[in-house]
Amino acid sequence: MRKLFVILLLLIIAGGITLSLKEIPFGIPKTKIGDHFINKGVEETGSVNIVTSVVVGYRGFDTLGEITVLFAATIGLGAVIGTFRKNSVNREVEAASLIVYTGCRFLFPVILLVGTYIFIHGHLTPGGGFQGGAIIASAFLLMYLGCSNKRIKENLSKTVEMIGGLTFIAVGIIGLAIGQDFLFNFLPKGEPAELLSAGIIPIVYIAIGLKVGSELAGIIDNLIQKS
Amino acid sequence: MTELIFIAVISIGMILCIIRMVKGPTAADRAIAMDTATTVSVALLVLLGYVFNRYIYLDVALVYSIISFVGLIAIARYLEKGI
Amino acid sequence: MLIIVTILVLLMIVSAIAALIFKDLISAVIAACIVSLIAAVLFYFLQAPDVAMAEAAIGAALVTGIFVIAVKRTKRFEE
Repeated sequence: MRKLFVILLLLIIAGGITLSLKEIPFGIPKTKIGDHFINKGVEETGSVNIVTSVVVGYRGFDTLGEITVLFAATIGLGAVIGTFRKNSVNREVEAASLIVYTGCRFLFPVILLVGTYIFIHGHLTPGGGFQGGAIIASAFLLMYLGCSNKRIKENLSKTVEMIGGLTFIAVGIIGLAIGQDFLFNFLPKGEPAELLSAGIIPIVYIAIGLKVGSELAGIIDNLIQKS
Repeated sequence: MTELIFIAVISIGMILCIIRMVKGPTAADRAIAMDTATTVSVALLVLLGYVFNRYIYLDVALVYSIISFVGLIAIARYLEKGI
Repeated sequence: MLIIVTILVLLMIVSAIAALIFKDLISAVIAACIVSLIAAVLFYFLQAPDVAMAEAAIGAALVTGIFVIAVKRTKRFEE
């Protein structure tokens, strides 16, 4: 009886959303600011990837908020799980066979390299800091699954995360110190589609990539070792 | 004309993978179906990069083909009680 | 082009219903991974490679890994 009621309610909500969204034409630009970003984005920020120029250039302060939310989630998880006692006895975990062990050891630097490539070229190709950080965390997850006796050094991951976060804020404060806005683009823009171009955007994305990667790797480490 | 043949072949591939995932009696059958579905999807992504004429989109296929391996290893290591 | 989008959306609905109905939780995790895969392909169709890459990097490895760790600490068959 309850299931029938729930299905009816879902159908009513779906019908309501469909009817209200039917009037809006699909695929036609609806705002003027989108045209401004597309037409003037390359010459104002210097990065060829328009999504990157919006995320770090025009709306850089919102990216700082996103990083703060991720940081708060990591702290919450560490506060809940980090106080459990460490698993001192590895209870009957089967070691991986030789093929899986060798494959994981071979693939670990390859995945790290792909992740680093994605966040260094954030202003040229699709990608950026958050995607690259998630790929780096997947590399550490692979090490935890395949080789059961290698672990992350905690002090190293905390240091890398701290350096990433402080770099982002320091770049913003330098923009304030020279008399302009927070996160002002004070480095020269250079030629478009070169690796060293677009001012502070590569530096900010490298900081974000390192910070997000070490945070997610720390979450994986907390979940597997404790609890 | 050739695009129609590609679309038909890839559609048949995806439908067969999902049939195996729905039917398979054990969890290992479904894991194999998931692995094959990711391989067919990577082929679909590369083909669409050719159809849209934007070769810069091939980075997505590169990333997905490496990351799907990690997901499969997670499920397989659980099934042999090694995580 | 519309044909393959229709087929992918129908397969996504079938996978999502299967993720609800399965009693074996590992099979439900596999069905959720396939839903994330089809979502990434649909984002790619709408010409958004950044979003497709984020969905691929997060949904394929990290979410599946965390769910497998959670199933290991609790029981595998529900009810």
